[in-house]
Amino acid sequence: MSGGHFLWGGKPITFETGESIAVAVAKAGVRDLSAGEGGLRRYFCGIGACQNCLVTIEGTLVEACLTPARDGLRVDAPEAGHD
Amino acid sequence: MTERQPLRCDVLVIGGGAAGVAAAAELALAGLSVELAEQRDALGGAYHRQPAGRPTAVHARGRRQWSRLVDAFARAGIAPRLRHVFLGLDSDGLAMLDDRAEGRVLVVRPRALVIAVGAIERVLPRPGWQLPGVMTAGGLQMILKEGGSPPPGDILIAGNGPLTIALAADLARLGHPPVALIEAGDPFARPAAALRLAAYPGLVAEAAGHLARVFASPTPWLRGERLTAIEPRNGRLAATIRDRRGATRTLAADLIALHDGIRPNDFGLPANEESDIVVVRAGDCREALGIRAAIADGRHAARQVIALLTQGPSIADDDAVLRQRRAQAVLGDLFRPIDGADPLAALPDETILCRCEGRTFSELRAMLAEGELSPREIRLNGRFGMGLCQGRFCADNVLHLIAAARPGDPAEPPMRLARDRWPARPVSIAALAADDDEQRES
Amino acid sequence: MDGRGGKSVVVVGAGIVGAASAYFLAQSGFRVRLIEAKAPAAAASGAADGAVSVASKRPGPMMTTALAGIALYRQLDEEGLFAGLFKQRPTVMVAEDESEVESLTGHADALAGEGMALRRIEGEALRRYLPDVSSGVRLAIEVGNEGHAIGYEIVRRLIAASGVAVERDTTVHGLVESASGRSVAAVATSRGRVEADHFVIAAGGGSADLIGLSGIVRPRKGQLAVTERSPTLNAALPGALMSCRYLLSKDAIAGAAGTAARRFGLVVDPLRTGQFLIGGTREETADTGNDLAAIRHMLASAVRLLPPLARLRVIRVFSGVRSATRDGLPIIGRMPGRDNLVVATGFEGDGICLGPLVGQAVGRIVAGVPSELDLRPFAPDRFGQRSLVA
Repeated sequence: MSGGHFLWGGKPITFETGESIAVAVAKAGVRDLSAGEGGLRRYFCGIGACQNCLVTIEGTLVEACLTPARDGLRVDAPEAGHD
Repeated sequence: MTERQPLRCDVLVIGGGAAGVAAAAELALAGLSVELAEQRDALGGAYHRQPAGRPTAVHARGRRQWSRLVDAFARAGIAPRLRHVFLGLDSDGLAMLDDRAEGRVLVVRPRALVIAVGAIERVLPRPGWQLPGVMTAGGLQMILKEGGSPPPGDILIAGNGPLTIALAADLARLGHPPVALIEAGDPFARPAAALRLAAYPGLVAEAAGHLARVFASPTPWLRGERLTAIEPRNGRLAATIRDRRGATRTLAADLIALHDGIRPNDFGLPANEESDIVVVRAGDCREALGIRAAIADGRHAARQVIALLTQGPSIADDDAVLRQRRAQAVLGDLFRPIDGADPLAALPDETILCRCEGRTFSELRAMLAEGELSPREIRLNGRFGMGLCQGRFCADNVLHLIAAARPGDPAEPPMRLARDRWPARPVSIAALAADDDEQRES
Repeated sequence: MDGRGGKSVVVVGAGIVGAASAYFLAQSGFRVRLIEAKAPAAAASGAADGAVSVASKRPGPMMTTALAGIALYRQLDEEGLFAGLFKQRPTVMVAEDESEVESLTGHADALAGEGMALRRIEGEALRRYLPDVSSGVRLAIEVGNEGHAIGYEIVRRLIAASGVAVERDTTVHGLVESASGRSVAAVATSRGRVEADHFVIAAGGGSADLIGLSGIVRPRKGQLAVTERSPTLNAALPGALMSCRYLLSKDAIAGAAGTAARRFGLVVDPLRTGQFLIGGTREETADTGNDLAAIRHMLASAVRLLPPLARLRVIRVFSGVRSATRDGLPIIGRMPGRDNLVVATGFEGDGICLGPLVGQAVGRIVAGVPSELDLRPFAPDRFGQRSLVA
């Protein structure tokens, strides 16, 4: 395993083995993780404490910074207003 | 029909950083059965974070000591439970671990619990600190350690304390020096503290190494200055910097890393006196003393657990821990902000105080003007500390402001605003409900 | 409403009943002192499910009173006092198996007999009405004109509107008898004696000892869980979903060794915030902990009824301790043999629904104005002669 791609809002993001979704997305230059709601989702603490980097995987919210990237994973911004 | 039986062990260690791993190895060596839960997919904690299966170059310091520790841990035969997020202790003394890989909650009934979940970074609120692209210095450090390279764009580091220098040095080493390093203190203006630091040659050597790297880079180290506001401008971030004479100027960046120190972490975690089982804290979550104290403190916690389980004599504080406590005090003096004013006193009304719920200073001030509301009422009615971070990034600031508004009142500890009930982290209902009898039958 | 001659009243307890009493008394021109052992809404009012509902009641005095309680919420909402705090929504009672359908039908008939607005929803219409509920649900009864309010928000609003400054952290140790022995002269508090013309005891579980009703008012704990916000799922639920099992109270579980017996009910309430409140238990204990077994069972039942909940996260669990009386009815009225002492306690799970109404009634009792409510079933003397603590 040396990484792969997952889909962020349908767009492929490259990651290397051992990277979390948050790190892969940050390295791809994505800063606003929200679906057009004024940047209320964004990477901040990196240790799961702030809950600011929540993303949706298979309908459930997870901290992007605690969730390992996996090849083929579909990751999306949560619906607006969801926390 | 029968409910899944809780996993039994002598000691459950929460956190696979230096303190937790040291505690677990020590406890296993003493013959106790030990489980260790770590929220990430690899051991290491904030300091020794490395991506699973792919070591990166960042932070080679202390790697040998860490390898020895991990070896001892492995020899003790402990299989760490990775991707297990600690949810707390319930009222029956059951420890709950959110198994993220399996999507269920693992229930453990330990005789003792060692909590070694690391510190929380202190970040002062500033206008614009909620914007995308603004993160904690530790958060950026995590990207470097895990990803091996920085995110694209210009990076500005601002705040207070030695950790920001380490971060600037790491960025410089990766060929990506920050556009500036803003420091509220000025160690060069604190010669007395600098002299006292000489008693800690390890720290001096480390600091000198970082500083040499920063000085060799184009990054200016702007001491006695504060980042007072951030606003979005042309797709980037514009930071207002105020120098020690009060003059301001603007610096542009794509990413801003903020850091105003670290604090112990007791959010959502059981207090010792409340539970029937032995609860001992270790490492930075107990007292933010850094990596040098963490291993010693982890071993100390292990000895303390053994003493408490066997009703043995209590264990005196560890010398290494005491030494780091003194060292941290010296560092505190060395980096004491030049501008001695209360940084929260002069913030504009619209500054976000609670990042989760978007609550502002003016909303808190309005509540304080209502009279003597208790922190609990301010929490419930004002939603401060009610968001998903459970007060981790606002409780200190809110309590500080309450205290400032009520001179003479005894200071309220943060837990009066935040909560100490489980779940310490939000947990998926599917995972929590997974093992209910009714659910399994249907 | 003036002309009380500035008579003074001491109200003990700043939960919802005490706060509402203070508000209505102040409105009537009384000089009010509101004495509170801790802080406003520190006990049951601050940890309640917030149901302003009559749906689960059987015909009788509690149903009549709850209907009046809901009507007052609507009135105070329209008048502005509760503006933004009262979410009007129906309660939707659902039945799954044959016996549940049968009992829910019987219950609905009883409610309809009392003139309540109901809708019976089955078949295809049920799927359209509750698209997210389990396919096992066979019957839904929508009870209209109900709502939800958060106890601590109502308490705060009432106290602010009353203009009364709460005397916090002040424990009332006892009542001081007047020379005649027929009335109360003062309350003895941790900050000294407080005299007044009238006294109102609305101290929830703390009331019993003050008025000699120990053993009649008992603690009954409830555990609740709150989810994160989920606007879409929240909006798709027309009202609070109440499992018929709650009505039947069949889902009783004996406690594990050494713990109290408890019963489970199930209500999934979509809150104004987009969150869901999921409750709850009834446990014969005053301890305030949250145990995994109870929360897990509640959540599993909730997911079984409303499967998309499984995708949400729980962000908080909490518990509150209700004050339940031996006969299940609250205690409201003048204490026998004490002309100037009014008590209002023992509301169990109905404090939020009834609190404002009872505060209004207390105001009338103290003022000597006839109440529109028939409070006789709640009379404090129904438990027989009791000696008062002096």
